[in-house]
Amino acid sequence: MAKYAMVLDYKNCINCKACEVACKEENGILLGANYHRIWVGVNEIKGEYPFLNIASHTFYPSQCQQCDNAPCQEVCPTRATYYDDNGVVRVDSNKCILCSYCMVACPYDARYVDERTMTVDKCNFCSDTRLARGEKTTACQATCPTKVRIFGDIEDPNSEISQVLRTREHFTLKSHIGTEPKLFYVK
Amino acid sequence: MEVEISRRRFLQGSVALSVVAVGATASIASKGEEKPKIVGNYGITKTSKKEVVMIPTLCEMCVNKCAVLARVEDGVVTKLDPNPYFPKSKNMLCPRGNAGIQALYDPDRLKYPLIRDGEKGSGKFKRVSWDEANEYIKEKMVKILDEEEDNRSTFLFCAGEGMAEHTFKTFYQAFGSSNWLNHASLCLQTVVSGYGATLGTYPSADLENAQYVIMAGANRAEAIVTPDSMDFFKRTQGRGAKLICIDPIFTNTAAKADKWLPIKPGTDLAFVLALTYVVIDEKMYNLKYVAENFDGFEEYKAHILGHKYTPEWAQEITGISAKDIREIAREFMLYAPKAIYYPGRRSTFSKNDFQLRRAMAIFQALGGGIDTKGGLIFGKSLKIEEHEGLSPLYAKAESRAIAKKDHPKKGEAGYADCAIVSGGGSWIGWRNRFLEGKMPYKVRGMFVYKHNPVLNMPNSAKTIEMLKKMDLVVAIDTMPSDTVLYADVVLPECTYLERTDPVKTFGGSEPSIAQRNKVIEPLYESKPIMDILRDLTAKISKPIFEITKKYDEDVQEAIEEDGEEEVYADFDLTKPFLHSQEELNEHAVAKYPGAAQILKTKGVYYPEMDKLFKQLSVNEYQYYPENSKFYSVLGGKTKMASGKVECNLASLADKGVDAMPTWKDEFAFVVPAGKFRLLTGRHAQFTQSGTSNNAMLKDLIDENYIWINKRVAKQKNIAFGDKIEVSSRIGCTVLKAYPTEKIAPDMVFFIHGFGQESKGLNMAYKVGGNDNSVIEDTIEPTYGSSIMHETNVEIRKV
Ligand code: SF4
Ligand code: SF4
Ligand code: SF4
Ligand code: SF4
Repeated sequence: MAKYAMVLDYKNCINCKACEVACKEENGILLGANYHRIWVGVNEIKGEYPFLNIASHTFYPSQCQQCDNAPCQEVCPTRATYYDDNGVVRVDSNKCILCSYCMVACPYDARYVDERTMTVDKCNFCSDTRLARGEKTTACQATCPTKVRIFGDIEDPNSEISQVLRTREHFTLKSHIGTEPKLFYVK
Repeated sequence: MEVEISRRRFLQGSVALSVVAVGATASIASKGEEKPKIVGNYGITKTSKKEVVMIPTLCEMCVNKCAVLARVEDGVVTKLDPNPYFPKSKNMLCPRGNAGIQALYDPDRLKYPLIRDGEKGSGKFKRVSWDEANEYIKEKMVKILDEEEDNRSTFLFCAGEGMAEHTFKTFYQAFGSSNWLNHASLCLQTVVSGYGATLGTYPSADLENAQYVIMAGANRAEAIVTPDSMDFFKRTQGRGAKLICIDPIFTNTAAKADKWLPIKPGTDLAFVLALTYVVIDEKMYNLKYVAENFDGFEEYKAHILGHKYTPEWAQEITGISAKDIREIAREFMLYAPKAIYYPGRRSTFSKNDFQLRRAMAIFQALGGGIDTKGGLIFGKSLKIEEHEGLSPLYAKAESRAIAKKDHPKKGEAGYADCAIVSGGGSWIGWRNRFLEGKMPYKVRGMFVYKHNPVLNMPNSAKTIEMLKKMDLVVAIDTMPSDTVLYADVVLPECTYLERTDPVKTFGGSEPSIAQRNKVIEPLYESKPIMDILRDLTAKISKPIFEITKKYDEDVQEAIEEDGEEEVYADFDLTKPFLHSQEELNEHAVAKYPGAAQILKTKGVYYPEMDKLFKQLSVNEYQYYPENSKFYSVLGGKTKMASGKVECNLASLADKGVDAMPTWKDEFAFVVPAGKFRLLTGRHAQFTQSGTSNNAMLKDLIDENYIWINKRVAKQKNIAFGDKIEVSSRIGCTVLKAYPTEKIAPDMVFFIHGFGQESKGLNMAYKVGGNDNSVIEDTIEPTYGSSIMHETNVEIRKV
């Protein structure tokens, strides 16, 4: 039993999208640009050439925020969306009826439809692949050239993620809406 | 802090790909194919919980050779993970490296030997057996060699970059031709030679410890080269190191920089000369280092000051303000020797590229950042035994087909189109001479290995014409590329995951040896190059020796003296290919006890690895402890024979090349009103034409888009996704528009490698635009490397 979370040193991200490919290959995600559990957010650059604002073009690697207070789970009528023993928000595809309430409820746009099973899918911290085999890293973390992610158990005070969260300033996305994300972005 | 992060793609690639099971729809794929062992379309599988074999190997999706652990479940490769043991790639795999599975299970792969069965370029081939293919090659070769009276140089050999390039080159050497062309003149020739002529070698950059880096032209966030790209981007933007990005377009590297200075393309030389001027004028250089390690500094100083290469002068040419130039020069020297003017790898973008690299190397050295931590380093490499080749002498083989000047004067290039002929040759110079009928003898056949000259060098139309004129083109490749389309015989090589390649040593501050191990047996009838050449040479060796006997008087005499058997032994083409690659690798590392076995199980070896290698954190590893890294190996000296930094090279002047980097008015490039300067480059999700048919990477970039300045696009009424025809003096191509402020109003940009015409490539066929059907085929004067950024184009909405 653990409480899994992730730290993102997002300033390292070079927007290469290795994480997206690694996730697809590991978890057997459908081919196609619209199907992915993980992505890099980036805004259009501000300014006019040659006066461009570098900071306006920051890369924000993102995926399901693994909310501790997840709206997606709350609205799911069949309890297809549930918390597993490690606090990971999962989707049981056998129970999902594609009512898509969760997709609307998720403030982070983390969910998409897997058209093979016609159910909703999203990041599950590689729970049924890597974690199930006892591995300690997620696919997106392991492959990343600039090592953006640290995955781990925040209930274990000795874990690296706990140490990082104690020592480095961090923030969560849309913290004001009370979803309590377990993805922490360090400054 | 609030950030809005959307899963919607911001640019390029919003188009969903419909995944269909691709059968043998194109005529290049032959009938009667067996299904290889793959699961689902394009081998997208979820990894399972099973205990599996993890096989260490090396990636070949680009030139970087990152270490991989391949997960094999029931004979199917289901995942490629980074292999943490390799100091070079430090536990990473980029998107292309991850997508290597799709290269292996690409349904469009070349599966069987093929012989052309229609017009060249028609894509019509018939499936044959390996023996039939080799027999066909033999007959053609015997005929051509007989007609050319055993002039072995009537065959051209060319190859793309790769670990097995050497194996193929062994074939070229044993065959006895003088015509060898590789990708160097389309890529890094000028940078390697520029640094080579100044420092004695092309050094690596210790970006892990540098505190100040100027990255000009090189776009490391998108053209990934390890270890530096990973190390460095963790420290920019106020986190320990300062990055100055100099690039005419705003790249992902610019996005990670502390300062981005858009420079007018092709004027970097003026920028570096002005930096040099500032530090010499203000005496900010490392006096001790210069006094001890420079040759010709006084001349160079007089040259720089005398030409008045001032920041004000450079401002006019480069578009970078004199204030910025002064500031950067001073800052660089302040941080030196932990400051790097990044050498880059890249193509030759302008005529003055060789001199630019010399100027960069000298500027770097002025700060003393040579052979030292945080600067440019030579490092150490672990010696391994070379694979012995065969280099017989054929009396009738002509020397390399180069056109010499009729009556060169002193101080003028001896060759018609460039001053120095390098080992890899000048591809464009060679091709154009061939087409213009300027060859000193007939070249009638060619072997192309893992190389796509139709797409990879300027003026695709000319390359096609050359391929059509050859009497025999043998292509060895994994994919039905645009070049394969014009081949007479196609020999299918297996992909990098299906073969063991020559073991390789990787020098640097943390040297190691690494090996590409076969992960699964070759699919279909494909084979590794070693096996292809073993069979081919067994077929042709004796018959072509008969031709030699007929025309080569030296051989005739030798046979009279020593008997045929003894003489033939020196000409036996099969010799270099008798052993398996695995055996050769064991031999190559025999002096390191246990290394051969470790290379098989861990993929990487260096002495005392078991003691030194440690996991430091969830993401980081130690390879060598800090105090035993090889930052400094020559005490600051260079690798030149003199041990010095060479500022003034008289030997170059004899060949008509400036002895010191000099700016010339002819370097100015004018973009006429209404036209645009065409730039080309890379994104991180794509490696030239080689990855264009990769189903997974298509998710990330569906096609290449042409960047047009937003305001210009608005004026021209061009919106995102509109089809644009781009045309130059030599040709045109069509691709979709991406209006953006990341590019200047008088430039357009798109990445290289799209717009393939081979119908055998179901994913890539006619997708996006081909830059090389538009870029003019001009070469720079020193090595004859192709100039990529000196073409003006017109754009038109279609
Ligand atoms: S792999 Fe790492 S650097 Fe690349 S896009 Fe993902 S988070 Fe960013
Ligand atoms: S990010 Fe969305 S999908 Fe993920 S747990 Fe939160 S609400 Fe649910
Ligand atoms: S944690 Fe696993 S499932 Fe989630 S995005 Fe990363 S690779 Fe995909
Ligand atoms: S950089 Fe990417 S493509 Fe190149 S070798 Fe490494 S993983 Fe492979």
